[in-house]
Amino acid sequence: MNAPQGLDLASISDRVQTEVQRAIQRSIKGVEYFSTSGPTLGLTPKDVLISRGTMNLYHYRPLADEIYRVPILIVMATTNRGYILDMVPGQSFIEFLLKRGYDVYMLDWSAPKPEEKSLGMEDYVLNFIPESIRCVQEDSGIDDVTVIGYCFGGVLSLLYGSIFHDGPMKNLICFTTPIDFREMKLFSNFSDRRYFDVDRLVDSVGNMPPELILQSFEMLRPASRAASQVQLWENIWNDEFVKSYRMFDRWATDTLPLAGEYFRTITKDLMWDNKLFNDTMTVGGRPAQLDKIKVPILHAVAEHDHIVPYDAAKHLIQKVSSTDKEEVILKGGHVSLVAGPNAVRRLWPKLDSWLGGRSI
Amino acid sequence: MADKSNDPVAMWQNMIGEMEKGFNSFANQTMSSPEFSKVMNQVGGVAAGAQKQLGELMEKYLVSMNLPSRAQMVGMAERLQSIEGQLNEIKAMLTQMSKASGVPAGGALGTPMPPRTKRPPSAEGEQK
Repeated sequence: MNAPQGLDLASISDRVQTEVQRAIQRSIKGVEYFSTSGPTLGLTPKDVLISRGTMNLYHYRPLADEIYRVPILIVMATTNRGYILDMVPGQSFIEFLLKRGYDVYMLDWSAPKPEEKSLGMEDYVLNFIPESIRCVQEDSGIDDVTVIGYCFGGVLSLLYGSIFHDGPMKNLICFTTPIDFREMKLFSNFSDRRYFDVDRLVDSVGNMPPELILQSFEMLRPASRAASQVQLWENIWNDEFVKSYRMFDRWATDTLPLAGEYFRTITKDLMWDNKLFNDTMTVGGRPAQLDKIKVPILHAVAEHDHIVPYDAAKHLIQKVSSTDKEEVILKGGHVSLVAGPNAVRRLWPKLDSWLGGRSI
Repeated sequence: MADKSNDPVAMWQNMIGEMEKGFNSFANQTMSSPEFSKVMNQVGGVAAGAQKQLGELMEKYLVSMNLPSRAQMVGMAERLQSIEGQLNEIKAMLTQMSKASGVPAGGALGTPMPPRTKRPPSAEGEQK
């Protein structure tokens, strides 16, 4: 009897054999999965220069014999931990930068303590970033600093750059940074001012609990967590897949609380009044308009970003006054833009080729 | 290699992917409505209030059981953080002292920093 057209019996038999082997592997590896912890992350050697409350400033030890003159300060998003940029050797953005000869510092965040609920936007923009820049200058002995901001770290870097426009920032790089908050449609709807009583929430809970923040991220793609677990089970025989899954899953669920007053300002000034886009933003009474920024700027955005859609990010390059400016749209999502195999192939080399000549 | 259209595993994976996309898209449409926002925030407000009350009750219960409450554990964590902070300050002071004594600037104590003379590969005529 002949096989129906398009069916190759030999390859079907191979496939069945492979699937049986994988099913056995799944059972063995499944037990392993639950009895072991994931890989340790964020291990690139570093020194802690500041560790005070929610603020941490790290200096990574150089991995090259010769480094660029201008150091880099990375400003991490306040909702998540900085180790997304320092996963494991070979998949660490920090390690990549160090090996390419950059001197790297990172402003990373710990969970704000209950008594830090009164930290506001002015603490982050007028105190934490300027203090970190001063510390980088003192430690490196160089006045110029390149600032890299990821997601909301990009917003903080932009606010800093627009207020201290005559300051030491030599270059600015933003990853997936929202400008037009109306275009973050679901977040905008969740925080609709007619129904969302931010004052009542902040006054009753103090700091915004991380569970609420994680929940609002997960609500953007409600089926994805279940689908990713199915995918994990299918691929649990594959050690590389499992390692990568654990790294990203651990990071994604390791969400930080947000200081109460800071969250209140984000909701009122950015989500409700869209002040950054409308050029009416002030921080501690100081105007923060994007057109004050004149330094070379690179904005990297992701084609399939469900957290910061392109429409929310696309205005940055038009709004700054810099003459040396570039937007680059790369394949990937909000996280895969900066970490994982996609980033290794796309963003990291692009950033190196853009920044090298501007770091001398 | 078998035709993907006849491969049951590929079909299953494809079906899961399509279901995920379809459900996400449907949910996003639903969640874009003002009615959703209204209901979500009403429920969320009640839940936050209930959570706060539950937390207070739990605190009283733990006290009666002679067990440390969350606030006490947070207090202990803060003391540990403060000790870590002081260690970091001592470390920073040692770094400054080593710099003042002539050791070149560097993160790791006593480790000299490489020279800041690097040029981008293209400027040196190297291949990228």
